[in-house]
Amino acid sequence: MSYELPVPTPGTHTRPFWEGTRAGKLMLPRCQDCNRVHWYPRFICPHCHSANLEWIEGSGEGTIHTFAVQHVAYGPWAKHAPFVTAYVDLKEGDRMLTVLRGVDPAKPEDIRVGAKVRVEFEAGSDDVHIPFWRVVEG
Amino acid sequence: MPGALFKAAAIVGAAEANEIGFLKTPVTSLQLHIEAIKNLSEQTGVPISRIEGVFSTGWSSELCEHLGIRPKYIDTTSVGGCSFEMHVHHALAAIHAGIIDVALVSHGENGHSSRSIGGRGMGNYGRGGGVASPAVEMTMAYGIAGAPGAYAHAMVRHMHRFGTKREDYAHIAKVSRDWATLNPRAAMYSKKKHPFGGPITVAQVEESRLIAWPLTILHCCMVTDHGGAVLIASPKVAASLNTKPVWIAGAGESMGHSNMLEMDDFTATSARASAEAAYTMAGMGPSDMEMALVYDSFTITAAITVEMLGLARRGEGHLLWKDGHAAPGGKFPINTNGGGLSFNHSGMYGMPLLIEAYRQLSGTAEDGINGDKGKQTSARTCVVNGTGGSLSTTGTLVLVADD
Ligand SMILES: [Zn+2]
Repeated sequence: MSYELPVPTPGTHTRPFWEGTRAGKLMLPRCQDCNRVHWYPRFICPHCHSANLEWIEGSGEGTIHTFAVQHVAYGPWAKHAPFVTAYVDLKEGDRMLTVLRGVDPAKPEDIRVGAKVRVEFEAGSDDVHIPFWRVVEG
Repeated sequence: MPGALFKAAAIVGAAEANEIGFLKTPVTSLQLHIEAIKNLSEQTGVPISRIEGVFSTGWSSELCEHLGIRPKYIDTTSVGGCSFEMHVHHALAAIHAGIIDVALVSHGENGHSSRSIGGRGMGNYGRGGGVASPAVEMTMAYGIAGAPGAYAHAMVRHMHRFGTKREDYAHIAKVSRDWATLNPRAAMYSKKKHPFGGPITVAQVEESRLIAWPLTILHCCMVTDHGGAVLIASPKVAASLNTKPVWIAGAGESMGHSNMLEMDDFTATSARASAEAAYTMAGMGPSDMEMALVYDSFTITAAITVEMLGLARRGEGHLLWKDGHAAPGGKFPINTNGGGLSFNHSGMYGMPLLIEAYRQLSGTAEDGINGDKGKQTSARTCVVNGTGGSLSTTGTLVLVADD
């Protein structure tokens, strides 16, 4: 079945990320001067403003920073509501937005801030595979 | 000691469009602007032709053209609902610099009518295109539909950190509705005015429909039509008018992020920084404030904001409402018009904050509409805080009544 949800158009400087997703890797931008990982991808490091950036393969591990249950959604997401969105603290630092898998939207009280999550990818198109995060440990 | 811009200008009038709320006959945003500006001119006796500076979101040039104004100063700051508090800050600086003496800050937004007729007004500060913005590129796949879906994340983190319950924040909605029942211009004034209007209970707030857990619909602001305008003038011009001046003692602005993905601390906003700037300019602090008007896009927005403004300890903002201090008759009134939750909220709520602050501190908070005391308080100082975007941007004003 083809993917029906919104798929982003890769930007000019984010191709390594999307190429990574096709290979099942979570590629992250890191500054070679201050060694910090940042998200979303920048043209210069948001911490020290260096233009010396590289892509590294992330662990794909993180924890839930906070979450919400979307009961109202529009467009192709509408028929998937309710679903759980979350901000995930990456093991390497900084934070990603996602839709959580492995949780019950009807039982938000069972979802724990700080719970461990792991990334997985779903093909949105031939070029772009979308990262989603799954709760692996309550 | 107050800063250089302390009382360098005053708000000398505040007016709204002829009709606001859920309008039965659709209106355009421009009409809401123009009606408010015309009413403001009549209230203050200042001819529209005397306006020298025009401050609005994307609208400034169209307003000048429509009104035949040849401005000396144009500002189009558009960073969400707090833009109007920033406009006041910018007008204060322009007046202090001697560039202008009379400034118009204007707002018009057909948030309700646009559902039937479309129109500018929602989206002046929109999300931009996918390719152009990596922040959007990395967030657009995940189905968050709008502000409630975003702000709910802050509420969950706030509850997690401080051990609060959703019901704690529900008191904010209940108390704001209490204020609205004293305000005939509030969209939720009464059952007669709106089927869901009139008093509500905490239990009703809790049991209403879920929009984005934990936010139920009564934790969320409305989307109505609203237009409003305020006039800012130099002390010399203010002294020549018949309306009461409300002095701008302090002003500050800041931002934490644009996209919520970049929000460091989901329990805090840049209001701490913008308030510090405003208090410093005023030579005053939170304990000098006698009331507050804070942007309440959601109950959680108001709770976090009063903590940032130094009016409550971290994690205890909701207690101002829960303990009754913010309510009619309480010792520290907040959102005396009914707020974005129950008065009006067209998408950007910064202007209604300014209008209510002017009315409270000039002693005209009832506008003579129903002849009774209504929501007028005895406050002589007020801290006003607008919040824009996804808890992104803030503008804070310290306003004081005329001596
Ligand atoms: Zn760096």
